[in-house]
Amino acid sequence: MEPIISTKDLMRTFGGVTALNLVSLDIYDKQLRSIIGPNGAGKTTLINVITGKLGASGGEVFYRGQPITNYSVHKRVRMGICRTFQINSIFMGLTVYENIRIATQLHLGGSGRVFARRTSLKKVNQEAESIVDRLNLNEVAYQSVENLAYGDQRLVEVGIALACDPKVLLLDEPTAGMSPKETRHIARLIQELAKEVAVVLVEHDVELVMTISDRLTVLHQGGIIAEGPPQEISNNCDVKDAYLGSTKWAPLLETD
Amino acid sequence: MSNRTNQAPGSLLRRWSGAHPLSLGGFVLVVAGMVVLPLVVTNPFYQNLWTRILIFGLLAMSLDVLLGFTGLLSFMHNSYLGLAAYAAGLFTINVNPESLWLAMLVGVVFTMIIAWPVGWLQVRTGGLAFALLTMAFGMMYYTVAWKWHDVTGGDDGLVAAIEHGLPKVAEEGMVPYLDINLGPWNLGNTSDPVHVYYLVLFIVVVAFILTHRMVNSPLGAVLEAIRENEERASFVGINVRRFKLIGWLVACGLAGLAGTLWMFLERNIAPDTMHAFEGAEVLMMVLLGGMGSLWGPFLGAGIFILLKDCLSSATEHWEIYVGLVVIFLVLFLPKGVAGLSSMLRRKPSENK
Repeated sequence: MEPIISTKDLMRTFGGVTALNLVSLDIYDKQLRSIIGPNGAGKTTLINVITGKLGASGGEVFYRGQPITNYSVHKRVRMGICRTFQINSIFMGLTVYENIRIATQLHLGGSGRVFARRTSLKKVNQEAESIVDRLNLNEVAYQSVENLAYGDQRLVEVGIALACDPKVLLLDEPTAGMSPKETRHIARLIQELAKEVAVVLVEHDVELVMTISDRLTVLHQGGIIAEGPPQEISNNCDVKDAYLGSTKWAPLLETD
Repeated sequence: MSNRTNQAPGSLLRRWSGAHPLSLGGFVLVVAGMVVLPLVVTNPFYQNLWTRILIFGLLAMSLDVLLGFTGLLSFMHNSYLGLAAYAAGLFTINVNPESLWLAMLVGVVFTMIIAWPVGWLQVRTGGLAFALLTMAFGMMYYTVAWKWHDVTGGDDGLVAAIEHGLPKVAEEGMVPYLDINLGPWNLGNTSDPVHVYYLVLFIVVVAFILTHRMVNSPLGAVLEAIRENEERASFVGINVRRFKLIGWLVACGLAGLAGTLWMFLERNIAPDTMHAFEGAEVLMMVLLGGMGSLWGPFLGAGIFILLKDCLSSATEHWEIYVGLVVIFLVLFLPKGVAGLSSMLRRKPSENK
């Protein structure tokens, strides 16, 4: 099977610091790939380079075999490479519905219509409504997102990415700062999504990662030190070495 | 969920405008008031003043499209009024001293031709750099208008350049008055202040309605997204630079429209009008009236110009008092006068 996203010898340096060092990985459709690693391992940088927020210092990014390393952000989004941010990046002054709607409008079209009313784009509005439904945000749909609870804002963050009609969804710590209940909700959602599209998950909650992922990639100091199914990774000696002494990663060591 | 999109069937006018019936009623009332105004205010000086309020209101509204709806700051938006006024004036003097509509078209098109590459450059920067570039270009236009004496007439304005124009115009020594024709019908002449007033009112109302449509359109939704969060906007697939450029061109085109109206009213344009001080005044009008509302800037222009008129006839140091009033309004009405009204209107509906 052809990978939907692949990177080849991807490099990214910041001044003298190498954040990504020859990262080559393949991401397949309908697969939940998690990327784990200690703080500063380059996980977010990897997502930033794949989605175009940052340029690559070397190497290539491919989408279905086509090189997209120099494509602009919006062009990649139009191809279906969508993401969420570690720190909420949503349209604060707009309502939940409008936040989602702008994303559906962009992929369904109609943005060039200067004198039509927004309500005239029926399909756009219906899809936005169905995504609001899916996220259980009906009750707050017409509230400005700046007045929402943090967990709900986090859902809007995911909702916007969903509304972009993703083929690959890159989620940067979607459960950060969420309650256990909200985390379960998101986890279920992520599992459902992975049945429809390719999902790349950067996550600190190791227990969550181990239960829901199809495959894991472990980054350490910008390079891949291990890759495989969760069971294999949790038995991997290199991985244990990389995290030894870090209590934050204790659950990883306990899973075997 | 669906009760939002299934609006109750309303009148054709309401469905077309998509506006709240109260706002629509208010709009019709205000326009009706403006239509009868010259019958009440018969002093040509005040008729001229009201026309200027409408023209500057249009300019302030065009800045609001940029500032309130796209989130971009233009320090010297008056320079685009100036460019259009010079273009329309020069066209009337040198090419065609008869057609008002052609002069208007030339003014707006010329402004947009200048604004296009400038905007192209500006949208490649963000935030403060964008605002500073608008100032740099504004200063450039000002200097050109001031120093290119042979074409622009320099300090004294276009009247000083009349001698180079068509013989017929040069003889008269002024930018000619123009007939207001609509198809075969003659509706008036710009020598009559009332006729100019109605011409300006008509153009302003049409421009307002079209701009209102635009900001409420899917395109307006894109501009709003850019205003709220530029990075996220690109991450939903918006080509941010392209849409910023569209917003910029719309704003400059509308400012240009105001510029051509200015030329019909004043029959002269001098570099003063393109000065940075004037640019700051336009910005104040938008802030006074409230940005992001479209009608607020008209109110702001009205308040500002009337205030300036009253104070300058009472004291030489009117700027100080204008400044005090502006400080007061900015401190106590940060969202402008328009913000006050939406504050009052929102109260009852929140309990729904």
